[in-house]
Amino acid sequence: MKSKKLSEQIIKTFKSSGFVFSEPDVLLDSEYIIQRSGENFKRSMLTFENEDGKLMCLRPDLTVASCIKFLEKKSKSKIYYSGQAYRSTDKKSSDLISDQLGIEILGSKNQLQDDFKVIKTILNSAEKIKSKKIHIKVGDIGLFKKLINSLEMPERWKLRLIRHFWRPKYFEELLERLERNSDIDSVAFDSDKKRFYEMKTMDQDKVIAGRSVAEILKRFNKKIKDPRSFSEGKQIVKIIRTFLKINCKLSKLDEKLLNFSKNNNLKKNIFKEFKSIQNLKKLNQKVIFITNFGRNIEYYTGVVFEIFSGKKEIARGGRYDDLLKSLGAKKNIPAVGAAINLKNI
Amino acid sequence: MKNLITIGLPSKGRLKDKAIAFFDNKGLKVLQSDKERNYFASIKNKPNIKIIYLHAKEIIQRLGDGTLDIGISGLDLLNESQKNLRDKINIKQKLNFGSANLVVAVPDDWIDVQTVADLEEVAFDIRSKRNTRLRVATKYPNLTNSFLISKGVTQYKLISSLGATETYPFIGSSEIITDITSTGKTLEDNNLRVLKDGLILKSAACLFVVKKKAASLQPFLNSLD
Repeated sequence: MKSKKLSEQIIKTFKSSGFVFSEPDVLLDSEYIIQRSGENFKRSMLTFENEDGKLMCLRPDLTVASCIKFLEKKSKSKIYYSGQAYRSTDKKSSDLISDQLGIEILGSKNQLQDDFKVIKTILNSAEKIKSKKIHIKVGDIGLFKKLINSLEMPERWKLRLIRHFWRPKYFEELLERLERNSDIDSVAFDSDKKRFYEMKTMDQDKVIAGRSVAEILKRFNKKIKDPRSFSEGKQIVKIIRTFLKINCKLSKLDEKLLNFSKNNNLKKNIFKEFKSIQNLKKLNQKVIFITNFGRNIEYYTGVVFEIFSGKKEIARGGRYDDLLKSLGAKKNIPAVGAAINLKNI
Repeated sequence: MKNLITIGLPSKGRLKDKAIAFFDNKGLKVLQSDKERNYFASIKNKPNIKIIYLHAKEIIQRLGDGTLDIGISGLDLLNESQKNLRDKINIKQKLNFGSANLVVAVPDDWIDVQTVADLEEVAFDIRSKRNTRLRVATKYPNLTNSFLISKGVTQYKLISSLGATETYPFIGSSEIITDITSTGKTLEDNNLRVLKDGLILKSAACLFVVKKKAASLQPFLNSLD
């Protein structure tokens, strides 16, 4: 079988680059996944109730399944996986079962080195199996965060934009609201303030529907102090939109970002640390940098990339430093990984 | 019997009375069975029409499987049902009774939460501080899901409720709720408040028709216009 041979070839490259095979569990506790990814993802999971009434699911994704296995201390840190993932989509044509083949560095201690290692390994395997011209598209979610944090706007807006960067459609709605400066009407505050003073005299540890009085008052206080009406929304949205249009060769990126900062009266050094991206110059490949990139997967936090052979995307990956913590790790465990898109090979 | 038309009407309360009145007003007198609790009825001088009293939710299901031809039930219940059911049912007419809103409600004393945007923030707060999800109790999981996701609230978990959903936030079963309300009194009496932009659906009683049978039912439906 052709595809089997290809997989074997790819796996050979993974192994020779020091990645060890890991076979994550097929059956996972649904609660665990929903806890991490929210109710919306549940729709795409294939779930069933086991005899104890516990909701189980078939692994929807091998990265998540590998992370769970790693957290159970059942796998090494530098792993590759090869297996099936099970997920339903709204599209009628797409299959429930997809073959996934990829690598992960879980507990990545050296970001620069590990980002490069993952991209290089995937690129090596891609080159072995593909004859068409290969090029790479990269982005860095971290750069977007740096931009947002450098802009003068209310804290809640900053957090909102960062939280929803990975949902382009809703993000656009947010920008439109920011532009119009339509947030929360001020009338509500007067009536609430009365209750605010009443609640101040209450037992601060009292819990109201899961939140303590102290917690509610603290947020209320923060909210009224966070400037409601600020008129720079339009200007800020313009800067964000301009930033999201950056699309250039990696070699031109420094210059581009510098010009961008200059033209928008931003501090010169807001983008100074993006070594992982700069490092990719060493690949000696055509690398295109796009700011508006890697926005479809929630868990990416840093470098994101896709490898193309001709027009077909044959692999993708990125850094996801928060995923393991959201799956229950006690501390932050940085990670980076990538998967081959077998369908397009 | 040939050309038999089966109509489902709500079996209880105001919705039942209004549905019967709707037919009465069109000159179609609903005749109750002699036995008070019998679930079947008929229409005077229309031997080919059979009326069955069912739970409003059940009416949608039975329209979907073709047991009923026509039914009166709530728009909320149709919209909440699965897509394959919805695809089989036409809304013939929105009626002027049974109006109610499906809304997002939070505890009154969550004074910092006025809008869905606030809720979104609090949901993230809960997640990052406690690594758990904001729990939303509801009888309408599908409508609630689409609404919250469209408004950017992603960090929550649904708790399915069968009734008295208003109690959930205060007995530790959920933090907030979504529920159907017509006057807002029950929410208010249970110390809950609707978010300013928390309207999920404006619902009303509707006259529903099975899509497949719409053509053959047309003569009868004309008499209801």
